[in-house]
Amino acid sequence: MTIEETGQKGSIQLGTESRILPSGEREFMLDVATSDIELNMGPQHPATHGVMRLLIRTDGELVTGVQPHLGFLHRCAEKIGENVEWLQYLPYTDRYDYLAAMNNNLGYSLAVEKLMTGLEIPQRATHLRTICAELNRIASHLIAFGTYGLDIGAFTPFFYAFREREWIQALFEKICGARLTYSYIRIGGVFNDSPPGWLQEVERFCDVFEAKWQEYYDLLILNHIFVKRTANVGVIPPAMARDFALTGPMLRASGIDFDLRRDMPYMDYGEIYEAGAFQIPLGSGEKGTVGDCWDRIYVRMKEMIESLGIVRWCLGSIEDGPVIGDIPKVLRVPNGECYVGIENPRGELGHYLHSDGGKIAIRCRVRGPSFVNLAVLEDIMPGTLLGDSIAIVGSIDIVIGETDR
Amino acid sequence: MGLLENAFEENVLTTKVDWLLNWARLNSIWPMTFGLACCAIEMMAVGAAHHDIDRFGAGAFRASPRQADLMIVAGTVNFKMGERVKRLYDQMAAPKYVIAMGACATGGGPYYKFGYTVMKGVDRIIPVDVYIAGCPPRPEALLEGLMALQQKIRRTPVIRRPARTA
Amino acid sequence: MDFAAIHDHLKAIGAPGLLGADEPRPADKKAKDPGRSGDPYLLIDCARIVDFLLVCRDDPKLSFEILADITASDPAADDEHFWVLLNLLSIEHKHRLALKGLLPKANPVLPSATKVYRAAQWNERECAEMYGITFEGHPDPRNILLPDDWVGYPLRKDYEFPKEYHGISCE
Repeated sequence: MTIEETGQKGSIQLGTESRILPSGEREFMLDVATSDIELNMGPQHPATHGVMRLLIRTDGELVTGVQPHLGFLHRCAEKIGENVEWLQYLPYTDRYDYLAAMNNNLGYSLAVEKLMTGLEIPQRATHLRTICAELNRIASHLIAFGTYGLDIGAFTPFFYAFREREWIQALFEKICGARLTYSYIRIGGVFNDSPPGWLQEVERFCDVFEAKWQEYYDLLILNHIFVKRTANVGVIPPAMARDFALTGPMLRASGIDFDLRRDMPYMDYGEIYEAGAFQIPLGSGEKGTVGDCWDRIYVRMKEMIESLGIVRWCLGSIEDGPVIGDIPKVLRVPNGECYVGIENPRGELGHYLHSDGGKIAIRCRVRGPSFVNLAVLEDIMPGTLLGDSIAIVGSIDIVIGETDR
Repeated sequence: MGLLENAFEENVLTTKVDWLLNWARLNSIWPMTFGLACCAIEMMAVGAAHHDIDRFGAGAFRASPRQADLMIVAGTVNFKMGERVKRLYDQMAAPKYVIAMGACATGGGPYYKFGYTVMKGVDRIIPVDVYIAGCPPRPEALLEGLMALQQKIRRTPVIRRPARTA
Repeated sequence: MDFAAIHDHLKAIGAPGLLGADEPRPADKKAKDPGRSGDPYLLIDCARIVDFLLVCRDDPKLSFEILADITASDPAADDEHFWVLLNLLSIEHKHRLALKGLLPKANPVLPSATKVYRAAQWNERECAEMYGITFEGHPDPRNILLPDDWVGYPLRKDYEFPKEYHGISCE
């Protein structure tokens, strides 16, 4: 509901009765009409996951309306896409969802490759792409887990999450030189072959991480206080999830079994699913209701383990070979338009590209999952307490770079 | 320091007092949580255990500008956010410092061309003490920037009159 | 269902506003046709978009419950139409549909799809502020990403980059 719909009046109405207390005094109950306050959970706030402004109307501790304001990180990615060449646009793709930069590169590269009919992507490149995308999914979900704990008030998981994340970032640094914005997955393949020993180190990471994951799960997710703060909070029923076009863990937490990697597979994911390397975790209302905040963080935690399965499958079947196809320095993409959606850690990342055969795109549209997922906040936050609102915002797991592009 | 600021001529006593005051300040610079974009993640990594910023005394990130000494502008500033940046900078109490972290805060970054709503450097609205290059800069680079800021604070005359230049 | 099957089904049930299809074709040097690669698009009439989307969402064989994306495009500065592009996704049948509608630049008005999908609300706000397209019946037509006092429509091809904003130079 919008702020206007909630009305101006306060809602605390007490009866006008009186009673005699055991001490002999008479206690009166009075009508206290208070008015709602408008709070600004402003662009600079430790718990808004970036620069987002939430205008919250509260009646005491109860939230009666919320109005998200975006645009504080609008960096004109779509206009830049219409002005720079195809290969030059790749670094900008890293920077929308900066926590899952490999997946962004992948989405853009797959979209351009779809327009370039007849382009062969080498097998080794596909496997390296999959390994990097899934490791990045683990890194992104680790931040979701760490910062969610921080929002709720638990400081320790943040440090543990960053410990594992430093390892993943060191792996990525060995393969492409960057820690956060990689530009590694390029049109036609990947930029660099893995250095010697890298694949063995990834295997070692998988083994160590599995044990650590169980530790984090028991530490935070099954923690009694965490469950009390997130179960039955911010419930998104399946019909609402479909209406708001939620995708990714938010959709699966509401019980809807849909994952682009399995149901509309791209790259090798169809084959990987057939081999049984990963399953799709769903929210089941184990601690509360289906589609509450606990289910969303539960789905994200389980997805980390499934990603390990995918990485292990790729490590087992990777072969030697070239890592990039034959791409000219100045790329001219054939005339056409396409939309390619991939499964980002946050949902469906879609790239719509329109080319007229030239060096520069005519239109480069980015469908950011965080932007679409955030709209649901206007409907699920009213009616909750202020502390629950923080839990809800954290559970949507937004990245403002993607919300604002 | 108010009345005492730059009030005394330079001698052995005031140099020692200044050294002490600056030592106290540079070993407890409390930053404000001001991560805007991708550089914020590297700032969080600096705050985490591997590249520990707390060993510099700067680990207490304060959310409120009124309790912070340092504003690390980590990320792209656009016009909509720039108004808030200026407001937050004004709310900080002196002595206050600003680190422009990353290419975007330094000079617009990769959004210099065709970024119609991106401010080309945060120094267009607030005075910056240290610029850190990188996109995003490594956590070690941020620590080096912090050390450069500490060096700057070490040289600051607090109660002694600054040396006159001819 | 693939694109041809969806197109035939829509024609069979008489979906309102269906104009045709724009399908990929190979290049033809003799006819000087550069060809078209990528996805097939269904051309629809912008004025009947709400009825068309209702059919897409409610028909059991199509059941496009998710509006993945609604956006617009300005193909060229001298082209007299905007393109309104939608992308629908069906979870039940696991298929996608891409729609394109032509909107005259002289009068860029079309009905809002928020009655059909709640997801359209924020996407249409973004389209409106970037292109200057008016969505009739939109419950909350404010700027979403740009500042409230921004002048001009940035994603149009004839947009001039501003020189300054509130006294701060844009150069």
